[in-house]
Amino acid sequence: MKAQDCSIARTPSAARPGKYLTFVLGGESYGIGILQVREIIRPTAITPVPQMPPHIQGVINLRGKIIPVLDLRARFGLAAPAANDRSCIVVVQVKTTESAGMLTGLLVDAVEEVISLADKDIEATPEFGCRLDTRHLLGIAKVGPTVKILLDLDRILGDEMRAQV
Amino acid sequence: MNSSPPDAQPPIVLNLASDGELLKEYVIESREHLNNIEQGALFLEEHPQDADTLHSVFRSFHTFKGGAGFLNLVPINQLAHGLESLLDLARQHKLTLDAERIDLILRGRDMLKQFIDQIDAQLTGAAPPAPILIPIGDFGREIQAAMTGESKASSASPAPEATAAAVPAAAATVKVETSKLDSLVDMVGELVIAQSLVTQDFIAEAAANPRLARNLAQMARVTRDLQRVSLSLRMVPIQGVFQKMTRVVRDLAARQDKEVQLLTEGDQTELDRNLVEELADPLLHMIRNAVDHGIESAAARAAQGKPRAGLIRLRARHQGGGIVVELQDDGQGLDKERILAKAVEQGLAAPGAKLSDEEIFHFIFAPGFSTAREVTDLSGRGVGLDVVRRNIERLRGRVEVSSAPGQGTLFKLVLPLTLAIIDGLIVTVGGQRYIIPTLLVRESFRPRREMISTLQGRGELVNLRGRLIPMLRLGEQFGVQPAAGSPAEGIIVVVQTGASLKGLLVDGLSHRQEVVIKNVGQMIRQRNASIAGAAILGDGRVGLIIDVNALGSLPAALGERTANN
Repeated sequence: MKAQDCSIARTPSAARPGKYLTFVLGGESYGIGILQVREIIRPTAITPVPQMPPHIQGVINLRGKIIPVLDLRARFGLAAPAANDRSCIVVVQVKTTESAGMLTGLLVDAVEEVISLADKDIEATPEFGCRLDTRHLLGIAKVGPTVKILLDLDRILGDEMRAQV
Repeated sequence: MNSSPPDAQPPIVLNLASDGELLKEYVIESREHLNNIEQGALFLEEHPQDADTLHSVFRSFHTFKGGAGFLNLVPINQLAHGLESLLDLARQHKLTLDAERIDLILRGRDMLKQFIDQIDAQLTGAAPPAPILIPIGDFGREIQAAMTGESKASSASPAPEATAAAVPAAAATVKVETSKLDSLVDMVGELVIAQSLVTQDFIAEAAANPRLARNLAQMARVTRDLQRVSLSLRMVPIQGVFQKMTRVVRDLAARQDKEVQLLTEGDQTELDRNLVEELADPLLHMIRNAVDHGIESAAARAAQGKPRAGLIRLRARHQGGGIVVELQDDGQGLDKERILAKAVEQGLAAPGAKLSDEEIFHFIFAPGFSTAREVTDLSGRGVGLDVVRRNIERLRGRVEVSSAPGQGTLFKLVLPLTLAIIDGLIVTVGGQRYIIPTLLVRESFRPRREMISTLQGRGELVNLRGRLIPMLRLGEQFGVQPAAGSPAEGIIVVVQTGASLKGLLVDGLSHRQEVVIKNVGQMIRQRNASIAGAAILGDGRVGLIIDVNALGSLPAALGERTANN
């Protein structure tokens, strides 16, 4: 991970109101824009690819297409919980500068629900200084008593594409 | 109808807004006609009386003219009209198409192509909208002169009724987007997997139930046929590329005052459409090289007791699940000593190294081999040949070269039939399966302990019948714990990379399978260059295809050159 300059002011939250799919990762609840979600599939045989970082689990066969699968737990440095029968792969499609709409699978612990968020539900990501890398967060949503962390998939996957080895 | 060609030529002004769609169609159609005209004219050069070809070229000009008239492209209309009239006289046996007239037709065709290119450029936005003016010069008069050569002037302009009867014998074809074809191939691939899974599930029942067994067998047959057909949809004959070469040889030879004859064989050999397109460039390069530097001047040939006209043979054939394209000239051949001396000078070979002819000839494919050379009588040999090799390797093929002084050079391109499918050898390492393109596999064997030697810190070597080749442990390369504890328990797969060989140590060979190659995406590809792609195996799981050229950084010692240095 690149060293970040703490003095740089953060850009305000880019999360827009709308529908989000929420899922669980390491006990926390996360949300991604529903328009980027293509489908949700049961875990399938993942073929590991040599020389990949731990968060790139490998590739799967999605009805004849080959797509990479990311483990967001490893990506965010969360402990890997025991596999459970609620785990699934959320297939997302993100347009990046490098590719127009590549499919990627995200391994998650459990899918929760689709929620509608209004402007007032969304707050900008709080400052954590250098202790926490928040570049990949769009914002925080309050739904009743719970908090959902909204992920910036464009940026997460865009960074994966550009990653220098 | 005004049959006299014009002197003052009005420019073409396109009305893109209103005629855009029509023009697009006209351009696509015209390109086919241009092709047909070129091929036809070249054929007529050899067989001036061939009625079918005369008709077909005539019809092409006629359709060209009709469309141009409709779209008000006056100069095209007039040009095509003149040439059509010439062809009409020929097909009525009122004149013969001699070399000069063929030349006229080809030049006319090139002018038409320029018009079409410019229209196309404006349509696609590559060029700003502007009046199109291509100097035709005295071409109209030349046609006129050519027509009056043997017949009674141009009064024999074609009667529209007569030509209307000549219905173009267009092949019944449909143009389909390649993305649709690709997804069809994807689906069929999945169907094959689903079918084999279903068959597996019912094996026990089928043994007791002949009806079920029959139906399952029928399903398997139909699925297989469906797969074969869906894959063959992308196949086209190599003919198109070969015909292009005919024209190139003709023009090059004329420019250099050499006499060169091109013979083609196997025009109907089918291969993937993409491959045909990708093959055109490297082939063009090699043909140019052969005419430029391979074939000697007529005088020099005569002095050596060879026929004055040089002969270039272009052959295509299927061989072992791939396609072989050979380019053979009967020119002066490669100078082995010179090439070796040059290679040593450039540090590509160790002085005094013992190399096979094949290895020596392979130096001509090294990047920059020819450019930094003072040896002049080899001049140009090798120009851009590194590009040829790179192109061919990108197509997952390889180039072989052999040559005999004074007798000529033979380039042999070995290519897969298609870019979409490879014949893969599936190997296992520590529970993982990897696919190696069979085209690159030379042999495989279980090594004995004494065949393997280690050079301290410089990797392992295996003794292959007296030849030492580098050995790579695939498990080590890929960070997989192999099941075979020592090389003697595994299998070595010998693969060809460029002119050299590598031995890959794997646990075992699984089977051979034709697999449809799929892209693994940039996320994977940029992190591991030795993964060329992936394919879906018989059980629906993904297998990774190994790019043997990119695999491992090898010890640069021992005269074995690798892709990396």
